[in-house]
Amino acid sequence: MTTTSAETVIRPARAKTAAGSPAVRRGQGFQHGVWFTAPFLVLFALFVIWPLLRGLYLSLTDANISGDGTSFIGLDNYTEALDDPLVWESLGHSAYFTLLVVPCITVLAFLLAMLAHHIERGKWLWRLCFFMPFLLPSTVAANLWQWLFNPGTGMINHVFGLETPWLTDKSYAMPAIVITTLWWTVGFSFLLYLAALQGIPAHLYEAAELDGANAWHRVVHITLPMLRHVTGLVVALQILASLQVFDQAVVIQDFGPGPEGSTRTFVQYTLEQGFTSYRVGYASAVSIIFFVIIAAVALARMWLLRNREEGVR
Amino acid sequence: MGRPGLNRRQLLAGLGGLTVAGSFGFAALGTGADALASGADTRVRYWNLFSGGDGYNMIAMLDSFRAEHPGIEVKDSTLQWGSPFYTKLAMAAAGNRAPDLGVMHLGRVTGFSPGRLLDPWDMELLAKYGVREADFNPELWKRAVIDGKLYALPLDIHVQLCYYRKDVLKKAGLLGADGRMVRVTSADQWFDVLKEAKKATGKGLQTIGLWLNDQNFQWWFFVAFYTQLGGTWFDDAHTEVTFDTDKATQVLEFLRRHITDGYANPNFGGGAGAEQFVNGAPFAWEGNWSVPVFDTAKVEYGATPLPPVFGEQATHAESHAFVLPHQSGRGGATDEAAHQLAAYIVRHAQQWAAGGHIPAYTPTLTTDAYRKLQPQSEYVSAMDHQATEPKAWFAGSTGILAQRVGPIVVSSTMGSAEPDAVARRMKSELTTLLASKNPMDGRTAAQGGAVA
Amino acid sequence: MTTAAQQTRVRPRRSWTPSQIVLTLLGTAVSVVFLAPLAWALFTSWKSETEAVEVPTHWLPKEWTGQAWTAIFETGNITNWFVNSLVVSVCVTAIVLVTSALAGYGFARTEFRGKNVLLGVVMAGLMVSPAVLGVPLFTTVQQMGMVDTYWGMILPQCAPAAMVYILYKFFQGVPRELEEAAFIDGAGRWRVFLTIIVPLSRPSLAAVGIFTFISSWNNFLWPYMVTNNPDLMTMPNGIATVMNSYGIQWAQLMAGGLMAGLPLIIVFVFFQRQIVAGVAHTGLAGQ
Repeated sequence: MTTTSAETVIRPARAKTAAGSPAVRRGQGFQHGVWFTAPFLVLFALFVIWPLLRGLYLSLTDANISGDGTSFIGLDNYTEALDDPLVWESLGHSAYFTLLVVPCITVLAFLLAMLAHHIERGKWLWRLCFFMPFLLPSTVAANLWQWLFNPGTGMINHVFGLETPWLTDKSYAMPAIVITTLWWTVGFSFLLYLAALQGIPAHLYEAAELDGANAWHRVVHITLPMLRHVTGLVVALQILASLQVFDQAVVIQDFGPGPEGSTRTFVQYTLEQGFTSYRVGYASAVSIIFFVIIAAVALARMWLLRNREEGVR
Repeated sequence: MGRPGLNRRQLLAGLGGLTVAGSFGFAALGTGADALASGADTRVRYWNLFSGGDGYNMIAMLDSFRAEHPGIEVKDSTLQWGSPFYTKLAMAAAGNRAPDLGVMHLGRVTGFSPGRLLDPWDMELLAKYGVREADFNPELWKRAVIDGKLYALPLDIHVQLCYYRKDVLKKAGLLGADGRMVRVTSADQWFDVLKEAKKATGKGLQTIGLWLNDQNFQWWFFVAFYTQLGGTWFDDAHTEVTFDTDKATQVLEFLRRHITDGYANPNFGGGAGAEQFVNGAPFAWEGNWSVPVFDTAKVEYGATPLPPVFGEQATHAESHAFVLPHQSGRGGATDEAAHQLAAYIVRHAQQWAAGGHIPAYTPTLTTDAYRKLQPQSEYVSAMDHQATEPKAWFAGSTGILAQRVGPIVVSSTMGSAEPDAVARRMKSELTTLLASKNPMDGRTAAQGGAVA
Repeated sequence: MTTAAQQTRVRPRRSWTPSQIVLTLLGTAVSVVFLAPLAWALFTSWKSETEAVEVPTHWLPKEWTGQAWTAIFETGNITNWFVNSLVVSVCVTAIVLVTSALAGYGFARTEFRGKNVLLGVVMAGLMVSPAVLGVPLFTTVQQMGMVDTYWGMILPQCAPAAMVYILYKFFQGVPRELEEAAFIDGAGRWRVFLTIIVPLSRPSLAAVGIFTFISSWNNFLWPYMVTNNPDLMTMPNGIATVMNSYGIQWAQLMAGGLMAGLPLIIVFVFFQRQIVAGVAHTGLAGQ
C-alpha cells in the first residue's frame, strides 16, 4: 500500500525534475538509487549472500578446514546429519532453552515495565537498573554467573542456603543458563514494553475509570489488548534469538558441552564440527538445516501477522 | 545558554571525528596494538595452554631465556586449555596466520594433520641448540615422528595420580613405615582403604575427589583402569573394534561405586576435589599438575600412580610437546629463534618438573636436583607403564574420541545410565569413529588416516 | 516517545499514596536483585585472590586491595583488547551508519530496475547471522585472507539488513513535500539527502548508531570465530578465551569484566533518554 502511493507520487516528481532540474541534467543516464544502495549491497553480497551460497555448495562436499582436497559428495552430508543423534540432541537443547526463556522473559519484561511505568518517581533509576545488565558483553555476564553459581564459593547457594550443583548436574545446567540469560537480556524486552505502555493513550484509562472499572479490569481490558502487538514482537524476537543461543552456554561451561553434553546447543555443534573436527562440509550442511529452521520460524511469523491483519480487515 | 552548548557540541563532534579517523587508521594498519610497541629484531610468537602453576613455571623459564638471549623477543600468549586451544591453533594455521611456536598434546599430533597444519622440525637446527634423539625415551620419540619426520618435540610426560593426605592416613592406620600409602592390589582392598580413611575424615568432607562430572578426567581414569585389565581398542590393522564390553563394565562399575558407597559427593562436582583435599579430604585423583597447588597449600601429602586395582600397573599418561604450526613462508631468523627457544626450554626442564611433570629430556631425571623433588620421585616410575588412548586420528587429549566417549563415561559414573548399557554405547561410538574418515585427508584409520 | 515524555512532565507530581509507596518498595527490591550480581562483581574485584575464594563467602572485602585492578593492567592484554574493541566498534558503527542510511534512502525514495527484488533479498538477509551460517562465513573470510585482521572482524558486521529496514521505514514516513520543494529549487538527489533528509532523521540515525555500537562492542561470536591471535582480540573475546598465565583468578576476571562493561554503562548513564528511545525505536520498527 505504501509502495503504490510512493510510485504515484514519485512519477510526477520525476517528470518535473527531468524537465529542467540541473540535478538530473548532471546525473543524466545513471540511476541514483543504484548508487545509494550500492555500498550496502556490496557488503551484503559479500558477507551474507555469498556465504549462504558458499554454504550450500560446501554442504555438498567433504571440504575440510584447510580448503584443499575437496570433492563433491552429493547429499551424503544431509543424510548423515538426519541420522546423527547429536544433531537432534543439540537441536533439542536449543529448543528446550527457547521454551524456557521465551515465556519467562516475556512475562518478566511485562511485569518490570508495568512496575517502572506506574512508579511516579525516579523513572530513570528503574530503567537504569533493569536495563544495565543488557549493556554487558555476553561473556562477562556468563563469567559473572558462572561464579555466582559456583557450588563452593558462589553467592547463589550461599544466599539461599542451597547445595545445588548448578553447573555440574545435567538437570540444573540448562536452567542455570536460562537464569543468566533472563538477568542479562530481559532489559531489552522491558524497554520495548515500556515504550509501548507509554504509547497507550491516557484517555482510554480515564474513560474506563469513569465507567467504574477497577485496576485489574483496566489491565485486562485495556493494557493487555493494547500490548498485543508488542508482545508478538517480543516473542518473535526472543524465539529467533534464543534458538541461536551460543555465547552464554559455552562460556558458563568453559567451552565444553556441559554435564553429559546437556548444554550443547545447535550453534555450538556446528562450530564443533567445523572448527574442532575440521569438517567444514558437514558443518555447512548442518548450518543449512538450521537456516531452514530459522527461516521457517521467521516466515511463520510473517504469515501469522498477515493473517491477523486480514482478520482485522 | 546556546553558545556554550554549541561549543561543547563542536568539541564532541571534533573528538568523535578524531576517534573515527583514528580507528580507521588503526584498522588500515591491520596489526594489533601490541605489535606496534615491539622494537626487537627477532620476535617469536609462542602460543601455549598453560595456566595455573604450569603457567607460572613456563613464564619463569621464558624469562630466563629472555635474560640470556636479549636479541630475541618472546611474545607468549596463553589460551584457554582444551578444545578451544586446538580450534584456535588450527584456524590460525589454516588461515596462514599461525604463531611461530606452539604447544600441543602429543596424542593430538596425528590428528592435527602434520604437513598441512604443522611443519616438521629442522633436525640440524635442533642439534645446533643441543637437542638429540638419544636424550629422549625412544617410545615417546617414536610417537612424535610421522612419515619419518619429527613433528613434535616432547617436553614432558604427565600422568594421573592418586594424591593422599599423610596426616589423615596416619590417623586411619593406612600409612606404611616408609611414610607412604599402603599398597593396594585389588578393588576390594581399595574400598577397604577408603572405608578406613572415611572414619578418619573430618565432618563435611568427602573421602575422595575424582572429578565425577568431568568428561576428560572420567575418560582418563577409564583409560587407565581399562588398560590395567588388559583391554584393547582396535586390532592392529585398525579394521575391527576389539573393545571388551565386559571389562569396560567392570571399570565403569568400579568408578560408579565411589558414589554409591558414599566416598565421593556428587554435589561437589569437579573442581571441589582439590579444595576438599586441601581442607582435609584424604584422597584426590588429579593430574600431576596439581603438585604445585598442593605444595603452596602446605599440606602434608604424597602421590602415587593410580592404584593397580585390577592387577596390572597402569596410569593414564599424555605429553606436552612443542610444535611448529604451519606457516607458508617458514624459515629465516624467526624460525631459527623458535627452534632455539623450544630447545632451551626442553633442556632446562628442571623448573618444569617442579610443576609435577616428568621431563621428557632424560638427562634431567638423573640430576640430584630432580631426585630430591617430592613427591615427584615417588611417581616417576609411572612413565614406564603408561596407559594411552589408541593411536588414531580421532584420539588425543580433548580430541574427538574424548569428546564423544567422555560424556558417556560420566553418565555411568553419575548414575544416569547403567554401566553395561554405557559399555555398549562406548563400543558403538568406537565403531562409528573407526569407520569415519579423517576430514583432513579423507581416509579412515584403517586406510592410514592414523599413520602413527 | 517524546509525546509520552512530555505528558509525564506536564502531569503534576502526585503525592505518596499508599499504592505508590508499595510500588516504590517493590521497585527497589527488584532493583536490588538486578544490581546484586554487579555489586558482587565489584566487591570481588577489590578482594585479594585468596579472599575471593574463601569459604564461607562474604560480600564486602575484609581487606580492600586494588591488586586485581593493577594486575589486569600489568600482566593482562586488557589495554590491547580495549583499543581493539574501540577500533572495531567505531569502524563498524561508522560504516553501518553511512551504508544503511544511503541504502535505506535509496530503497525508500528512488526508483531503479529490480529495486523490489533487491529489497526482498535484503529482507531475507534478516534471517542470516554468524550464528546460523558461521562456518561458511568463516571460510569466505578465510578465502579473502582476512582471518586475524581488523577488517575480517569489521566488514562482516557491516551488512545488517535490520538497520537498513529501520531507516527505510523511517524515510518512507518523511513528508515528500519537503523534498519536492528542494527539487524545484534545483537541488540534486545527493544535496536533498544531505541537507534535508539527514538532519531530519538525526534521532533515527542516532538510534541506529547507538544500537550498532552496543551490539558491536558486545559482539562475541564473530570476533571469536575470526580472531585467534590474542593481540587482536576484542574485550568480550579476550576475557572469555584468553586467561592470563596464572589461571582463573576471579578477582581479576571480575575486574576485567567490569572494564569491558563500564564504558557502555557510563555512556548509558549520560545518554539514557536517547538510548532508551533508540532501543525502543529499533525494536519497535521491526513491527
